[in-house]
Amino acid sequence: MNKLMTYRFDSRLDLLLERVVDVPRELVWTAWTRPEHVKKWFTPAPWTTVECEIDLRPGGIFRTVMRSPEGQEFPNVGCYLEVVEGERLVWTDALEPGFRPANKVIDPAHDCGCTVFTAVITLTAEGSGTRYSALAMHKSEEERKAHEAMGFHDGWGAALDQLVAFARTMK
Amino acid sequence: MQLDQVFQALADPTRRAVVARLSNGPVSTSALARPFAMALPSFTQHLGVLEACGLVRSKKKGRVRTYELTTTRLKAAEAWISMQRATWEKRLDQLDSYLMTMKEGQS
Repeated sequence: MNKLMTYRFDSRLDLLLERVVDVPRELVWTAWTRPEHVKKWFTPAPWTTVECEIDLRPGGIFRTVMRSPEGQEFPNVGCYLEVVEGERLVWTDALEPGFRPANKVIDPAHDCGCTVFTAVITLTAEGSGTRYSALAMHKSEEERKAHEAMGFHDGWGAALDQLVAFARTMK
Repeated sequence: MQLDQVFQALADPTRRAVVARLSNGPVSTSALARPFAMALPSFTQHLGVLEACGLVRSKKKGRVRTYELTTTRLKAAEAWISMQRATWEKRLDQLDSYLMTMKEGQS
């Protein structure tokens, strides 16, 4: 058995969510790894995923295009880092397909809260269901830029209120 | 505004303890330093890091320097991470309900 990479959780930069679903592990894996399924759930409504491309192997492309309710489209390109069938899926948008370092520019006009991140999805069988966790690791420098793009460097209060209101609409 | 500095400042346990202590109100340097087993110059260095990124500010009255929390920085860092959390919560909610429809479709 291969030894999987262990990932360190930093509570100030990262998010860790865990769910238990009464669905077999293979199905959960399929939902994460087939474009036709990913398109159905990946982007928080009322936004939608209009395109999805997956090359399921380390260095392979994971690309989505999100569409805002106003019809504006936001492409997201990254690549897989670790693919262990039914167990572990890791991707980042800090690297382009083939592990080429991405040259990310956070454009204030296209700010959708997108920042450089690495996501780690881990699946384990639990009875007839599945326990899965999603770890999203963030890079603080990019967060800072995204923050500045949102106007945090001047007018903290107003921007913060808007952000909190926005976060509420996403729940 | 340097959010990366805020995160870096909070990465240290001593500085987190200082921030926690200050959340109850202003405290003088000597009173802040007392619980920590470290030389005062090292401790004031930590205070310097917190002050440089704007998490705390200090005032000097006579020979006593008092530190207090500036809360906006902390709130901004929290708000950013809560927005990311909201996105992921919603994403996984959608996944879970989609999984149920996949399961029904199979049986």
